[in-house]
Amino acid sequence: MTDIGSRLPGQVLGWKASGQDAVYDRKTLYDYMDGGAEVYLAFDFRGVFVRRYADDAADEIVLDIYDLGSPAEAFGMFSLDRQDPEVEIGQGSEYGPGLLRFWRGRHFVSITVAGDEDKAEAAVLELGRAVAPLLGPDGDPPAMVAALPAEGLIADRTSYFHDHVHLSNRYFVSPENVFGLDAATSCALAEYALGGDGRARLLVVRYPSAERARSAEASARRSLLPGAGDDGTAAAGKKGWAAVRTRENVLAAVFEAPSKEYAGRLADAALRPAK
Amino acid sequence: MRSSMTRRDFIRGTAGAVLGASAAAALGQAAAVPAGKTRVVLVRHPDALDASSAFNRPVIQRMLDEAVTKLLDASDPVDAFKRLVKPEDFVGIKTNVWSFLPTPAPVEQALKRRVMDAGVAETAIGLDDHTVRTNPLFVKATALINVRPVRTHYLAGMSGCIKNYIMFAESQEAHHPDSCASLGSNFLLPQVKGKTRLNVLCALTPQFHGRGPHNFSRRYVWNYKGLIVGTDPVAVDATGLRLIMAKRRIELGPDQEVPPVPKHIQIADTRYGIGTADPDKIELVKLGWLDDVLI
Repeated sequence: MTDIGSRLPGQVLGWKASGQDAVYDRKTLYDYMDGGAEVYLAFDFRGVFVRRYADDAADEIVLDIYDLGSPAEAFGMFSLDRQDPEVEIGQGSEYGPGLLRFWRGRHFVSITVAGDEDKAEAAVLELGRAVAPLLGPDGDPPAMVAALPAEGLIADRTSYFHDHVHLSNRYFVSPENVFGLDAATSCALAEYALGGDGRARLLVVRYPSAERARSAEASARRSLLPGAGDDGTAAAGKKGWAAVRTRENVLAAVFEAPSKEYAGRLADAALRPAK
Repeated sequence: MRSSMTRRDFIRGTAGAVLGASAAAALGQAAAVPAGKTRVVLVRHPDALDASSAFNRPVIQRMLDEAVTKLLDASDPVDAFKRLVKPEDFVGIKTNVWSFLPTPAPVEQALKRRVMDAGVAETAIGLDDHTVRTNPLFVKATALINVRPVRTHYLAGMSGCIKNYIMFAESQEAHHPDSCASLGSNFLLPQVKGKTRLNVLCALTPQFHGRGPHNFSRRYVWNYKGLIVGTDPVAVDATGLRLIMAKRRIELGPDQEVPPVPKHIQIADTRYGIGTADPDKIELVKLGWLDDVLI
């Protein structure tokens, strides 16, 4: 990560690089993040390069460039927290006051503002546009994200992660880790538009083994769908229909489906082998 | 869908929770709260922050004074603090220095001033966060005051008075699994047990949602201009969680009402017995400004 510093701009509009650049790895990330390091450590985080820029009023822009080890992991880090408009930087981006986030290749980037956010907006976007070309080549999002059933998929609401804490922050299922998620599992969480305001949720989990997938299926049915029949579907009161099914080492769970039929169909589509 | 514990359960707590034995109660000087209840005081003032969001030191002192006086049904703030600490005490004020949202200095200073007014020498008062385990004054402290801002936290759901004591733990990482469920155990450490006299959860500028690399964005901080005060850290945090949830419901929608997953508050009650998380067992007294009070 250290070599990237020499290629970064020393000044962006009226903001000049200030202080010492810093690099943190898995062991030292806690020195940089007092709370929040686990969010990154739950991915294949390799390191983060940090540079600060300051203007004449001593307001700060902080550039963080994270090496996540692979494009899939970089996409995952980006995908956890999308809610602002796309600004077409890197392979996926979003900007809202005081925060630019984007990913490209194996890198995830965040640019934050300490101080007047409106004043810094042009510089933040300019800095993002200057950094993105340095982080190539492009890479592919996770294959399991690309393989999600396409009909009704709200693409920019799809996220990729590994463990329970990320699932809970994206979509609360249970305070307990009923799906047995950990660093060895890969998860895609997606939303599907159903017309009107209706939305169904789909969680797809790829386990290291079929045995773990079956164990998670049993755990989830026991905890979440005690009334489910052999087909793994059950009514969930005001939350519509839910389904939990597996195929080999993959589990599909559907929540908030409008009908039993839709819940089962979406789960089956998610479990269908890629052609 | 059924779950062994729903989101709502986090704020409902569980039946049969044992009321936390506060220092004041142990001294036989508990306030006249309804039987079986623990008192929490929420005090707010429209001038706690000025138009540029700078803290108003005199107003914050008055807010703290009113809250603690009411908390203990004392005659005045000095009388109230005399019930909390004795002149011979060594008092550690456990603050929070998180750079994005630290404990406001006027709150720290207001507490220190009243502890001194209660007869404790300035040299017997410590203020610390990260080095409380080794700080000589905290090592020999006979009384602790717990003060920090309220905010959401990616792992624990909410950072409040319970989480503030993680710095007393030998390993902070050891508390991270299962949404930091074990945080309440820090109140049972020898350095801490039975010493906490007052908990002040600063809701002057609470953070109701976290984003960005440090889980902080100014977009999700608002000027609530309040302090939540109690002798029971669990009841104080349970009240803080109600506030965060109310704000999230308004700003983020019902689906995002509860920050995932604040189970450590309830577990501090049911597993560690250090206080009560059950709102039915909390007497919330509201003082001062009530506009947009939310709870």
